[in-house]
Amino acid sequence: MSGEKMEHVDGSDQNIKEESLTGEVKGRNVIQHVAQEEQGQLLFHEETIDLGGDEFESEENETVSEDSNNFIDKLNEHMMESVIISDSPNNSEDDVGELGCLQDIVEPTEDKSDHNLEQMLDKEEMVTLSNDSETDHDDTPKDISDMTSDSRASLKEELTQEETKDEPMFGNEGTIDSALSDDKTNPEEQMSEISSSQSSKDDAVPVCTIFSQSNQANSQPQLFLHDGFEPQMVKSPSFSSASETSAKTPPQVVQPSPSLSKFFGDTVNTNSLASDFFDSFTTSTFISVSNPNAGTSVPEKLSSLSTPVGESSPDSADPSYSMGIERSESGVSTASLEASQSPKPFSQIQAVFASSDDPFATALNMSEIDRRNDAWLPSEDTRNVLISVATQQYSAVFIDKENLTMPGLKFDNIQGDAVKDLMLRFLGEQAASKRQVLNANSVEQSFVGLKQLINSKNWRAAVDLCGRLLTAHGQGYGKSGLPTSHTTDSLQLWFVRLALLVKLSLFQNAEVEFEPFGNLDQPDLYYEYYPHVYPGRRGSMVPFSMRILHAELQQYLGNPQESLDRLHSMKTICSKILRNLEQGLAEDGSMSNITQENRNASVQLWRSRLGRVMYSMANCLLMMKDYVLAVDAYHSVIKYYPEQEPQLLSGIGRIFLQIGDIKMAEKYFQDVERVSQKLDGLQNKIMVLMNRAFLHLGQNNFAEAHKFFTEILRIEPTNAVANNNAAVCLLYLGKLKDSLRQLEGMVQQDPKHYLHESVLFNLTTMYELESSRSMQKKQSLLEAVAVKEGDSFNTQCLKLG
Amino acid sequence: MRPAAQAQKVMRLTKPTLFTNIPVTCEDRDLPGDLFNQLMKDDPSTVNGAETLMLGEMLTLPQNFGNIFLGETFSSYISVHNDSNQIVKDILVKADLQTSSQRLNLSASNATVAELKSDCCIDDVIHHEVKEIGTHILVCAVSYTTQSGEKMYFRKFFKFQVLKPLDVKTKFYNAETDEVFLEAQIQNITTSPMFMEKVSLEPSMMYNVVELNTVKQAGEGMSTFGSRTYLQPMDTRQYLYCLKPKQEFAEKAGIIKGVTVIGKLDIVWKTNLGERGRLQTSQLQRMAPGYGDVRLSLEAIPDTVNLEEPFHITCKITNCSSERTMDLVLEMCNTNSIHWCGVSGRQLGKLNPSSSLYLALTLLSSVQGLQSVSGLRLTDTFLKRTYEYDDIAQVCVVSSTIQVES
Repeated sequence: MSGEKMEHVDGSDQNIKEESLTGEVKGRNVIQHVAQEEQGQLLFHEETIDLGGDEFESEENETVSEDSNNFIDKLNEHMMESVIISDSPNNSEDDVGELGCLQDIVEPTEDKSDHNLEQMLDKEEMVTLSNDSETDHDDTPKDISDMTSDSRASLKEELTQEETKDEPMFGNEGTIDSALSDDKTNPEEQMSEISSSQSSKDDAVPVCTIFSQSNQANSQPQLFLHDGFEPQMVKSPSFSSASETSAKTPPQVVQPSPSLSKFFGDTVNTNSLASDFFDSFTTSTFISVSNPNAGTSVPEKLSSLSTPVGESSPDSADPSYSMGIERSESGVSTASLEASQSPKPFSQIQAVFASSDDPFATALNMSEIDRRNDAWLPSEDTRNVLISVATQQYSAVFIDKENLTMPGLKFDNIQGDAVKDLMLRFLGEQAASKRQVLNANSVEQSFVGLKQLINSKNWRAAVDLCGRLLTAHGQGYGKSGLPTSHTTDSLQLWFVRLALLVKLSLFQNAEVEFEPFGNLDQPDLYYEYYPHVYPGRRGSMVPFSMRILHAELQQYLGNPQESLDRLHSMKTICSKILRNLEQGLAEDGSMSNITQENRNASVQLWRSRLGRVMYSMANCLLMMKDYVLAVDAYHSVIKYYPEQEPQLLSGIGRIFLQIGDIKMAEKYFQDVERVSQKLDGLQNKIMVLMNRAFLHLGQNNFAEAHKFFTEILRIEPTNAVANNNAAVCLLYLGKLKDSLRQLEGMVQQDPKHYLHESVLFNLTTMYELESSRSMQKKQSLLEAVAVKEGDSFNTQCLKLG
Repeated sequence: MRPAAQAQKVMRLTKPTLFTNIPVTCEDRDLPGDLFNQLMKDDPSTVNGAETLMLGEMLTLPQNFGNIFLGETFSSYISVHNDSNQIVKDILVKADLQTSSQRLNLSASNATVAELKSDCCIDDVIHHEVKEIGTHILVCAVSYTTQSGEKMYFRKFFKFQVLKPLDVKTKFYNAETDEVFLEAQIQNITTSPMFMEKVSLEPSMMYNVVELNTVKQAGEGMSTFGSRTYLQPMDTRQYLYCLKPKQEFAEKAGIIKGVTVIGKLDIVWKTNLGERGRLQTSQLQRMAPGYGDVRLSLEAIPDTVNLEEPFHITCKITNCSSERTMDLVLEMCNTNSIHWCGVSGRQLGKLNPSSSLYLALTLLSSVQGLQSVSGLRLTDTFLKRTYEYDDIAQVCVVSSTIQVES
């Protein structure tokens, strides 16, 4: 390389001379220009920023020479000059801006076989060069010309065209065919083939586009240079962002969207499969009785509407309602009561307290924990309404409709099973019929069934089931905007439904269903609004996690700023509650006798909630790519979750690695090693090794990174991340087959852990790279997925579409 | 036509990316209990022990071709796979990169592989530092011999555009003292954040350079850019450099004149997971300030002086003309505040071309405050031309009751 460099030096000197010549011409132009203007514009001098004392001399000067020269300096100072980035350093001497010059120098060394194309190039170049010298003395436009919108557009075209065929490859079968049909070994004719095959494929003949465009751009006056430049750049993100940002933004179409992997994938799934027939038999009759009609019949709706004020059940000491009780009140058959009560969903949630025998102590304990968990600070307006309700100034009925929360399902279509759809398409009906997953019909129509669906990763079915249960509550499809009442359980159901929609990356759907909840601060979302149903109970029915979800959702919809706003107001309230507790008050600021024990528990809870808010903020800032603030935010999370310090420091290190700041990453990874020295354990050892591997990755040393990932596997052979990452390193080392073996091995050995979409995505990408028979292999992956995975599986990672 | 028995695939190897999760959590009292949290724990892509952390550790392969910028390294995986069930022989894989100006061979080896069994592949990872803007075409050619002795040959073309990553603008300031200050604005015109690893000015042979982009704080050099070590897309950073002419060039005033080459900027950046890029600008040029035929510059002046007390300054007078020896007469004109001490209209003697003389002058100020030193006149007796030097420098004049620090 260095030898080559030496050769070029001679040529480069020539170039510099040429360059300086044009520079002088330019300089002279400026002088003339200045000389004309000089006399009228003496005032101008004083406005210039100046580091030397030159211009002070020339204030009342008669002497021309000096002054005008000073003026040139000043003029130069005013204009930022555009500088050409000639090239990467290795041959930078060759081309002082003029690409054309470089080409002329280099070309003679080319071999004859490329003659056809070369000649074409030469001709075109001559045109551009002469154009250059005529139209502008600065060579910057040449730079820009290569980046005119047209050429970028053509790139875009090219890319999309090829990407639609098969994603990460940019191969196209069209060319291979035409090349094969020629099937020649004669080099001269092949070169001409380039242009012909290209042009037959798409209109833009590569060689010509670039030069024709440079001509066109050269005619632009150089003053427009910078202005003309920026709009082009604005264009580019649309086709580049996917790759550039994929690590930081939530994955879009091609990238497998994050999902949770197997949880009880084996056991629960098979269990439920075994019980499937049984369940579906019983439940199907059950549904026909209770579910679809429950929310629609008119008298029921009325009764459920009147529930909150009138018909409280006086006998229930338990201040909260289970769905079962709720439904029995609304006049559904007793069968449903039995069915839903038998699993006792609510008592399970609060199993801790249910175990207590003394009903009075239980009630007391409950209220203590309820107060702690439900505490929230309403806005001024909401508080006024709640006070009015409490003082019976007017009944809840008269409250302005705008201040009420009236949610309803916004879509009632069944979510379906994408895996099965793919099987139908690629494997045929027979194979597809073997696919057995739980759906909303095959489980108990209760919280128990819901949990079963979530656990078996049938989140789409779980969304459906939430919808049914909410319909039973009178908040079904089309019920949005109609008055309704809320219970602890109905809000929990909404939370689960919306959380699952977010987990499934169905952000738009979550958004429309979240909309009626407003900012989660309406009076009817507080217990005080229902003094008869929840006597003495205070605070918000909205689960804290639902508030987090509500805030975070916006960032996935592309409004991270809104997310931050919501998180900040949550942070304010959390901090206020903590302050109240420190001052000896109850969470909501009221005077209250709280035992020290309970106060500590409350402080602990709210500190951890505040930490959770900070966590979301940090994540959001990371998505916004505001890395400096994100790093600060993660630092403050450490204060709330000190036990996560090594993980968080590693995470910050990875952020720096992502930016490209290897030194800072290294510093953080060292901090991790220092922190985790104290707590030796397998996990910490793995973390340290993982960080070292990442650091080598950042230094472009895939071999060394692979060594460290393999080291982790020696300690923990089942480590999915290390396995996957080691395989990725192998690919970069040119060992496709080894890499495939490693990934396939792990998927086959332990599908429960390794059928993760990131792993599958890597695997299918390698299949595509490996051979033209990737389709078969992908389909066999689909079969494996069909056995293990629920309906929430993101099929895009298989890249079958 | 029967299907190609050999499949050739190409994949650009940009750095892998880290998988990000969508954390959804709940509390124990919520309906799902610890289900959501447990699901996240069991997800291999979350961080063990910190599941809420979005940025995971799982590497994923590049999704698409992406952008490639001048100065970056183009890496690509080339795989030739034998899809047939027969052994093929004498396989030659050749990867060339055709740019608008040249054709480069990128294959690591040009040796023929003797035979390729069924379902086996030949792998090659090629690297190339991109040195040209515009259209590039990767040409991959494969030739082989089938079992029946038939010679086969096919090629594939992969076209991509190389874009410009940075926009660099410069601005020069010429200081009185022959120093040149260079302001360089570097703008990130890519679509991803860019960590600036190195931005340095390599001066031309005439200059020494001092980088003015760090501030000494507690003995450590702090970057003037603070903790923000990276450039967001479209962000611009301004770097400042001070160039001093080397002694041997500073002596000869006539040499640094007109357009001079200052040096070039060397820029090294990194992006995702340490993807590296490096560029240099072309030689930066500036118009050296002309000083006419005679230049007067200040060598020494106190910054604070006492009111109505004489003080000394040292001037340097240089003959900047190319061949004329000058005969100069110095006149000193008082202004409202500045009073020169000594004789006005004295002969300074002969001054040869490109040589200079030093002149010690005494003056006092009659007005307090910041005063500008003005009123020097040099007359070239041969050409009868007068050069005026006003506002040469400023001094702070304080009342003599205040102690002037030395």
